[in-house]
Amino acid sequence: MRPTQLLLKSGRSAWKGPYFVAFPNLREAITNHLSIKTQARSCTILPNFVGVRFMVHNGKDYLPVLVTQDMVGHKLGEFAHTKKRFNYKATKNK
Amino acid sequence: MVHILGVNLRDTHVARFALTKFYGIGQQTAHRLCARLQIHDKCKMKDLTPYQVTALTSFLSSPATSLPLPRYPLADPDFIPPPPNKSVQELQNEFNAARAAREAKKQKRAQYTVGVAAKTYVDPLKDLKIESELRRMIRENIGHQRMIGSYVGRRHAMHLPVRGQNTQSNAKTAKKLNQLDRY
Repeated sequence: MRPTQLLLKSGRSAWKGPYFVAFPNLREAITNHLSIKTQARSCTILPNFVGVRFMVHNGKDYLPVLVTQDMVGHKLGEFAHTKKRFNYKATKNK
Repeated sequence: MVHILGVNLRDTHVARFALTKFYGIGQQTAHRLCARLQIHDKCKMKDLTPYQVTALTSFLSSPATSLPLPRYPLADPDFIPPPPNKSVQELQNEFNAARAAREAKKQKRAQYTVGVAAKTYVDPLKDLKIESELRRMIRENIGHQRMIGSYVGRRHAMHLPVRGQNTQSNAKTAKKLNQLDRY
């Protein structure tokens, strides 16, 4: 067992650290309760993201994600679902 | 039949493979357990001594708090046993001198490796989790995913595969196992 795997659950090597995108408007977003619109789904949620409201792209539109303490270490994209649930619609004119 | 923590282990089975009856113990861990309790590779369950059975039970009931493994230092290949007429006092002196030399060497080595954490032996079986403890851990992990509303938790709730497998056909294992309360 490699001890680094405890730190990074993704299997990414430890010297690289977690992958994240720097949001320059992060502090502003916390103080003014603004949401950050982003397409960086693979960005790891860092401890200083807690409390920020993100609008994460799901390929079509931007879904709101409120970051909580439990989400730290996960990716932003895990919380913006890309698939629509299938529901059968009967055709009107046959 | 040997009963250990509510699991029946057949008498005729080889101990190393019988231990895999426990949820959370595979062949690798079973082999390690046997090595720890000095159970040889071809030992059947019925050949275990009562001491080994109790040791196994006490270890498996709480691996984290079990006693550390005793150290059996090995002699060097060029070790020559002292002559039998040597007095105990002399032997003791020699032993103390050897130990002091070893300590001095260790101190000297520590000077060159400042800031580097010393390698300590970590017991591989220390964080072993079996049976209900392991099941609880799995349940909690799934519950955590569901609580934060991630994709993994959502797929568990829908009884569908989590890692992008196809679902048009098959996906039988996921439909069976991916539950919020799996155990």
